[in-house]
Amino acid sequence: MENTKQPTGAFTGFGPEWRATSLTPTEARTATAWVETKIDRRSMLTGKERVEDVREAMWELERDGEIVVHRIRDEHEPVIARTLYGWEKRIPTNNLWHHKSCGQCGNIPGYPSSVMWLMNELGIRYLDETDQTSCTAWNYHGSGIGNVVSLAAVFLRNFHQAYVSAKAQGLPEGTYFPLIHCGTSFGNYKEMRHYLVHSAELREQVRKILAKLGRLVDGKLLIPEELVHYSEWLHVMRGRIAERQKIDCSQIRATVHPACHVYKMVPEDVIYDETVMDGNRVAVSTGLLQSLGAQVIDYSTWYDCCGFGFRHIIGEREFTRSFAIDRKIRVAVDEAKADVMIGHDTGCITTLDKNQWIGRAVDKVYELPVMADCQFAALLLGAHPYKLAQLHWHASPFEKLLEKLGIDWEKAKAEFESYLKEVAAGRGENLYDPRRAITSGPGYVPPAALTQGGAE
Amino acid sequence: MTHAAPTARALIADPVSGDTPVPEAKLEAVFNDIRSHPLYDQELYGCLNCGICTATCPSAHYYDYSPREIVQLLWTENLEGIYDAMQEKIWACAQCYTCAARCPFHNSPGGLVMIMREVAIKHSMQSAKDALRPFTRVLLKVISTGNQLAPNMITKDAFPDWGPNVSKIDAPLDLLRKAIPVPTLHTMDTAWVVNLKTSVELYTIWEATGVLDQLEQVDENLFDVISDVMDEKREEYQEWLDEQDN
Repeated sequence: MENTKQPTGAFTGFGPEWRATSLTPTEARTATAWVETKIDRRSMLTGKERVEDVREAMWELERDGEIVVHRIRDEHEPVIARTLYGWEKRIPTNNLWHHKSCGQCGNIPGYPSSVMWLMNELGIRYLDETDQTSCTAWNYHGSGIGNVVSLAAVFLRNFHQAYVSAKAQGLPEGTYFPLIHCGTSFGNYKEMRHYLVHSAELREQVRKILAKLGRLVDGKLLIPEELVHYSEWLHVMRGRIAERQKIDCSQIRATVHPACHVYKMVPEDVIYDETVMDGNRVAVSTGLLQSLGAQVIDYSTWYDCCGFGFRHIIGEREFTRSFAIDRKIRVAVDEAKADVMIGHDTGCITTLDKNQWIGRAVDKVYELPVMADCQFAALLLGAHPYKLAQLHWHASPFEKLLEKLGIDWEKAKAEFESYLKEVAAGRGENLYDPRRAITSGPGYVPPAALTQGGAE
Repeated sequence: MTHAAPTARALIADPVSGDTPVPEAKLEAVFNDIRSHPLYDQELYGCLNCGICTATCPSAHYYDYSPREIVQLLWTENLEGIYDAMQEKIWACAQCYTCAARCPFHNSPGGLVMIMREVAIKHSMQSAKDALRPFTRVLLKVISTGNQLAPNMITKDAFPDWGPNVSKIDAPLDLLRKAIPVPTLHTMDTAWVVNLKTSVELYTIWEATGVLDQLEQVDENLFDVISDVMDEKREEYQEWLDEQDN
């Protein structure tokens, strides 16, 4: 039968061969429902060939004497989580080396401070030091400057430093295990691990470079046993974190923005949990929020990226802010009636937080507090909103959320402004002894206990 | 009637244009660089034209860009189309890798775009120079320090569309930074304090992997500036090493 329905012409941008389907609204809903069913299940991520557990090849390389693996040991107190295919992933929970994020530290400093504060609260030992660079992958994905060899060399240089860092305190190599703060670093390093494990040529190229830097172990490349994102640490610690909760959040409607580079890059390594959204969503952040008692509200564009774009947020911001407002913020506000959007990556938090104000220019007035999972958790455990969670760097209206949580933000703000006078006088407070931050090179002072022959 | 400057498309495939087309040898050289990239075979396995990549692509919402088209051009070895896509389209990709996560064939259109961007830089294409111009400050920062972003780069002037609340506390930036309870963050020139030794180690990586050559291809002035910064920091580090020997 000939289709007599007229094309609506409502869509553009798919090439001259495109023709409108002319579905009725009912037919369109039926077709979309099928897609949504698929999207809601993780079948689109799992129904593939050529999926392998790269760690098996990694262990084989170590047996063949090609590489050394930085082991997760008892002192790291690992907790087992399950990934997309049900594989085990051991998450170290103690003696951790913070691999910081340039975007978090530069723009959202309450992000790393909240992670470290939570560790202090839980009695976790860690090292935050200056001998580390960015992964440089934000730059690579934005500009194309860089390549697989440079990215792999940066990855293994940083993680070699994590391995040897404890020597500065007179402790054995491998004491501190790297914990990755940035989602892009997490995704990029997992890609680099895959390429390194599968390419002898790449390993040789990187080995030559790291040999020049003195960054080999017994003449071999060092690769960590697992690549672990801080959100995974939060996930396996969520029960212990919830035990220390002081503020009720059961009235809070929270939406989660899962970060693309956390769970779409190398998806087989991402934690899923049948108790978290029936295993249909990446478990990190959502599992933490559930443990803390928040209402996690699903929304139709949960799968979309934030619009960061790597180069777009700098050079083509019209795309970034349009996508952030239209596809994420607006939907979270109108559809989910959210009180807050929680993320677990640098670029997403920045994009979603900073690109709300400009919506006023086109009558898209949406206001939604945006923060990282660790900041939200720290607040609920009683952290100071300004001194510790550093919320004043956020452009979105977090004040509304604090009021709903019963936190007097005006009092807290006044306390912080008063505290700034103490900081100006050199009496600022730190989460750890600053002398620990330099482990070699200019500025390093060996601890007294070490120079006297003992450990710190 | 005035004639606009010829676009790359006109130079490639417009049959009525009197302009010199891109030589076949150039098209082949570009494609060979793409095809011989060490990751190419890991990013492209085949394509059924299902279009699920484009259906979930954020950039396809706003640009004349389709990851399906990128994959098809490469899969069918359409040299003119590949060259054409490298003049603008590849810079539309947001690098979210939704396409890669979704592709039933396990292709990575986003990864293929990165290969094409690298090759665009290698061939000094104008599109690469134009796309990277706003990235100058970031490139300077990340290559010279190893840290991509610095607090003093995020100002109301640099990001007027972010509104008045870049910081909701009115105080000098250096004081606000010192009020962060993480000692490595008490700086404004980099996101965290990067050890001088660390930056110098990174320079060895840049040199050994051709990253500085890439930079020179797209921005000679920036390359000169960064080279000077690297020389200064290396001298500074050498002086420190000499002091340790004395």
